[in-house]
Amino acid sequence: MKFASLVKNRKALAGLILFALTVLLAAFPGLFTSVHNPGEIGTYAPNLGPSTGHLLGTTSYGQDIYSQLVYGARQVLEIALIAGAFATVLAVLIGITAAYMGGIVDEALSLVTNVVLILPTFPLMIILAKYAGQSNEVMIVVLVATGWSYGANQMRAQALSLRNRDFLEAARVRGERRSYIILFEMLPTMTSLIVANFLGSALYSVLAASGLQFIGLGNTDQQSWGTMLYNAHSMEALQAGNALWIIAPGLAIALLSAAFALMNYAFDEIGNPALRPVRRKDLRRSRKAERLAAKAANPHAEKGARDADSDVYADAS
Amino acid sequence: MPTPTSTPTPPDPTAGGASAVAGTSTDEALLDVRDLRIVYDSPRGPVEACSGVNLTVRPGEFVGIVGESGCGKSTLLFGIAQLHTAPARIAGGQVLFEGADLVTMPQKELNDLRWRKLAVVMQSAMNALNPVRTIGDQFKDAILAHEKWSEQKIAERSAEVLRLVAIDPVHLRSFPHQLSGGMRQRAMIAMALLFTPDLIVMDEPTSALDVVAQRSLMVQIKELQQQLGFAVVFVTHDMSLVSHFSDRLLVMYAGQVVEFGPTRTVFDTPSHPYSRSLLEAFPSIRGPKVPLTGIPGDPPNLANPPAGCRFNPRCPQVRERCRTEAPELFDIAETSVVSRCLAHHPSDPLDLSEPPTPNPDADADAGLEVQS
Amino acid sequence: MTTLESAKVADAAPLLETTGLSRHFKVGGSIFSHQLLHAVDDVDLTINEREIVALVGESGSGKSTMARLLAQVYKPTTGEIRFQGKNLSELRGRKQQLKYRSDVPMVFQDPFASLNPVYKVSHGILRGMKLHRPDLESAEARHQELLRVVAAVGLNPPEEIVERYPYELSGGQRQRIGFAQALAYHPKLILADEPVSMLDVSIRIGLLNVMAKLRDEEGVSFLYITHDIASARYVSDRILVMYGGHVVEEGPTEAVLADPKHPYTQLLLSAVPDPRAPLEVTSEAAKAEPPAVIDPKPGCRFRARCPLAVDVCAHVTPTLRPLTPTHRAACHVTAPASENGRPPSTPTAVG
Repeated sequence: MKFASLVKNRKALAGLILFALTVLLAAFPGLFTSVHNPGEIGTYAPNLGPSTGHLLGTTSYGQDIYSQLVYGARQVLEIALIAGAFATVLAVLIGITAAYMGGIVDEALSLVTNVVLILPTFPLMIILAKYAGQSNEVMIVVLVATGWSYGANQMRAQALSLRNRDFLEAARVRGERRSYIILFEMLPTMTSLIVANFLGSALYSVLAASGLQFIGLGNTDQQSWGTMLYNAHSMEALQAGNALWIIAPGLAIALLSAAFALMNYAFDEIGNPALRPVRRKDLRRSRKAERLAAKAANPHAEKGARDADSDVYADAS
Repeated sequence: MPTPTSTPTPPDPTAGGASAVAGTSTDEALLDVRDLRIVYDSPRGPVEACSGVNLTVRPGEFVGIVGESGCGKSTLLFGIAQLHTAPARIAGGQVLFEGADLVTMPQKELNDLRWRKLAVVMQSAMNALNPVRTIGDQFKDAILAHEKWSEQKIAERSAEVLRLVAIDPVHLRSFPHQLSGGMRQRAMIAMALLFTPDLIVMDEPTSALDVVAQRSLMVQIKELQQQLGFAVVFVTHDMSLVSHFSDRLLVMYAGQVVEFGPTRTVFDTPSHPYSRSLLEAFPSIRGPKVPLTGIPGDPPNLANPPAGCRFNPRCPQVRERCRTEAPELFDIAETSVVSRCLAHHPSDPLDLSEPPTPNPDADADAGLEVQS
Repeated sequence: MTTLESAKVADAAPLLETTGLSRHFKVGGSIFSHQLLHAVDDVDLTINEREIVALVGESGSGKSTMARLLAQVYKPTTGEIRFQGKNLSELRGRKQQLKYRSDVPMVFQDPFASLNPVYKVSHGILRGMKLHRPDLESAEARHQELLRVVAAVGLNPPEEIVERYPYELSGGQRQRIGFAQALAYHPKLILADEPVSMLDVSIRIGLLNVMAKLRDEEGVSFLYITHDIASARYVSDRILVMYGGHVVEEGPTEAVLADPKHPYTQLLLSAVPDPRAPLEVTSEAAKAEPPAVIDPKPGCRFRARCPLAVDVCAHVTPTLRPLTPTHRAACHVTAPASENGRPPSTPTAVG
C-alpha cells in the first residue's frame, strides 16, 4: 500500500528519481565515467571549460570535475544514510521509551534530549571534528550525536498521543510485557513517522557533512562533494573563471537534499490524508464520468439542465 | 410546561408535507430543499452522499432528520448551510432559503445571510470553542463579523443571549474549560441566537452529553423556539431524542429520504420498513421486556449502492421486485407522509400477498461489500 | 425475583465481590496539593456466575473507574476485591496476574481504536491465546479456537473474517472481534465498558444479544457499564446505579426499574427518551450537573439536586439499606434505616 502511494505522489516520485540516480552513481560509478581515479592530480590540463571530453570541465589541479562528481556521490550517500539511520534509531529508542515509561525516566530523557537540542550544533561539530580527527567515521559519530534530538522529541510526542489508545490499553490488560508493547504494538503504527524521520535525518546529514567538509574538517583525501567545494574555494575557482567547479557540487548537494525532502512530503501526505491535495485531474475525471452516466441514463435531458461544472464552490480546497 | 403540541401551528398540517415534497412548495416555506445532490469526488470516482433530497421547513417548525452513520445526514446539513468543502460538492438541486437559492448565491450575500438569518450549531460544539479566549470575546467576534455594533450593545446582547439559555452572564468572562460540557453546548446555542435567526441548523448537538443534560438541553431548545419563533433543523442518530420535540420527522438511509411526515404519525405508524425496524431497535424501559433483533447487515457502500431499492439487502419485507426497481418518494394517501417504498406506489403497489424473500446471506454482519 | 431465587443466589458464592472499594486521585495544580478526587467511594459490588450486572451512571459517577479497578489498571485506595474468594492484592507473580487477566478480560468502548490497525484482526485474539491458554498446545489448536470464538460472536464466515484488517470491518464487526478476544481467554467474567455506545442504534441490539447468548451458552458473566439505562434493562439481570462515586441503588433490574426508590434513579428514568411514552415533567434536578467529588464532606452527594432532600441529608451519608432482600437504596427519605436494622417494609416472615 505504501509504495504505491509513494509512486503516485508527484513530489515523491521526483524525489525518488533523484535519489535513485544518486544511488546508481554511487554504486556503479564506472557506468557513468571512464575515469577511474578522479582524485589524481595533473591528469588533464587545468581549468578547462566544459567540452565533450570533460562534461563539466576540469579543476585547477587538472582533475575532471564530472568524474569527481560521480565518485563523490558514494561518500555523500554513505554518510547520509548511515548517519541518518543511526540518528533515527537513537531518536526512536529514546523518544518512545521516554513516552512509554513516563515519570522520572521521561523527565531524565527529556532533559537530555532538550539539552542536546539547544546546543549550538555547528560549533559543537567543529570542535568534535577537530579533536576527534577527520575520518568519515568520526563525521558520522558527530552527526549522529548532534542530530538525534529533534527526532526524539517528535517520536516522544507521537508515542504520547498513542499511549492511551485503546489497542495499547487492550494489550496491557491482556498482560503483555512492556517491551513487547513498545516494540510490537506501538512501533509498527509509527512506521510512517519513523521513515519520515529517517529522511529528515539523512537530509540533515547531507547538509551538515557537506558543511563540515567545506570548511576543511572532512577527510580531504577523499572525493566528496563537500570536499570539492573546499578545494574549489581554496583555489579561488570563481576568480579563476572556473565557476562550474563550485556550481556542480553545490547543485548536486542541493538536489540530493531536495530528493530527501520531496520523499518526505509523500510520507507526510500518506500519513495524514487531510494534507492530500484534491487533484484537478481527479475532479475532472470524476465529473466527466458523472456526465457520461447522466447522459446514458437520460439521452434526452435538456442541455441547460444542471451542468455539473456550474457549482461555485468546488475550487475551494 | 412545554409540550410538543404547543408549537406555533404551521398553516396547514395535512397539506404541507406532500405538496412541499413534490416541489410545488407554498410560499410560506422558510427552507425548501429541492432534489439536492451532493457528491464526493474520490480518486475512485464520484460517491453520491445525498441523492435527490427534498425537504421543506416552515417558519417556526422543528424538523428532525434521523439516520445512522453513512446515511448522509451530516453531509446534507453541511450542504444546506453551504459549509461543505472539496472534495464534496453540490452536483445538483437547489436550497431555497426565503426564496433565494443558496447554492448559486455569491459568497458576499451568503455571509450577510449567515448568523443573521441562518445559524449553525455543530456537533461537538464544545471543541469548536476557542480554548484561549473567553466566551464573551468569542461572542464579540461573531457579532463583529456581521455587524458594527458598539461595545455596549455587544455586551448587552451577549448577556441577553446567555440569560436565554440559563447561563449566568458573569460567564462572559469565563474560558471554555471553566464551563461544564452542558454549559458549553448551551453557550454555542446562545451564540447562534445572537441575531435571532429565522433558522438554526443543528448537527447532533447533544451527542456528547449525559442523558439528563441531553434532556434538559432539548427542553431548553424547545422553550427558546416557542419564545423566539425560529425554525430548527435537527440532525441526530437518536430517533427517540427528537420524538417528543419535532413537528415533522425525516428519515434518511443511504443518502436518500425514505420517510418524511408528522412526527407522531411516523412514530405511531411508520410506513417505511427501515423506519419501522429502526424504531423497533430501541429497547424500552417501560412495558414488557421483548427480544429485539435490530437490523441485520450494514449500511451500503455509497460508491456502489445496491440496485433497486437501497434498503433491499436488509429489508424484512423485501420482494423480488425491490431488487430491480428503485422506488421514488411516494405520497401516502390520506396522510401527509411520504415513503420511499414500493409498497406505497400509488398506481402499482407491491403485491404484499406474496411472502417476503429475504436475502439468505443477510445474517448478523453480511452487508460489507469487498472492494475490488 | 422470587424468594426461592433470591435464596439460591444468596447461597452460591459470588464470582466477584468488592467490599468498601474506594479509589481516590490526587488533583490540583501543584505537587504540594492535597486535594483528593473521590472517583469511587465505598462500593460493595457482587457479581455471580452466569449473570449480567449493569453498572449505570453518568460521566463522573465512577463507573469507568470501577472497570479499571476490576481490570487491575488501578489499585484500590481502600477496600478489597475478591475474585473466586481470593483477594486480588494477594496475587503474586506474573503467572497469577496473567491468570486473573484471563479470567476477567475487558472489552472497550471504541471499536475504531481498540484494534491495532497494522495487524489483521486475528492478531489480538491469537496473542491472547498464546498468553492465557496453555491448554492449546499447537498453532493448529489455536487456529481452531480462533475460528470458534469468531463464529460464537456471530461473525460469518470466520475463516474469511480473521484474514481481514480492522479498516475492512464495520464498527459493529470490530466490536464483535473485541468480544471474541475476550472470549478466547475462556473467561469467567467479562468487563464491558460502554461496549455499544459508539455503535449505531440498530447495531447495538445485535451486540447486546451476543452478550446474552454468551451468558447462556458459554456461562460467562458480564459487568455491563453504561449510561444508557434502556439497554441496561434489555440485557442485565441485576442493576447498580452510581452517582458521585457511590452506589445509590441496586437490585434485580425489573424490580429497580419498576419501583425506583432513589430520587436519582427516578430522575434518570424520567430523562430517558422513550418514543412510546408521553413526555414527562422536567424537574429542576435536570438542570444541574453531577458534581466533581473533591474532598467531600459527609452527607448525600445528590442533595443539591434532590427534590426530597431534608436536613439529615446534609450531615449523614446514606448507606444502602434493603427495601426487599435483594433491592437496596441509599436514601434517608425513601429507604430510611429502622431501629433494629431490618427494612421497615419487609414482612417479618422469612425473606
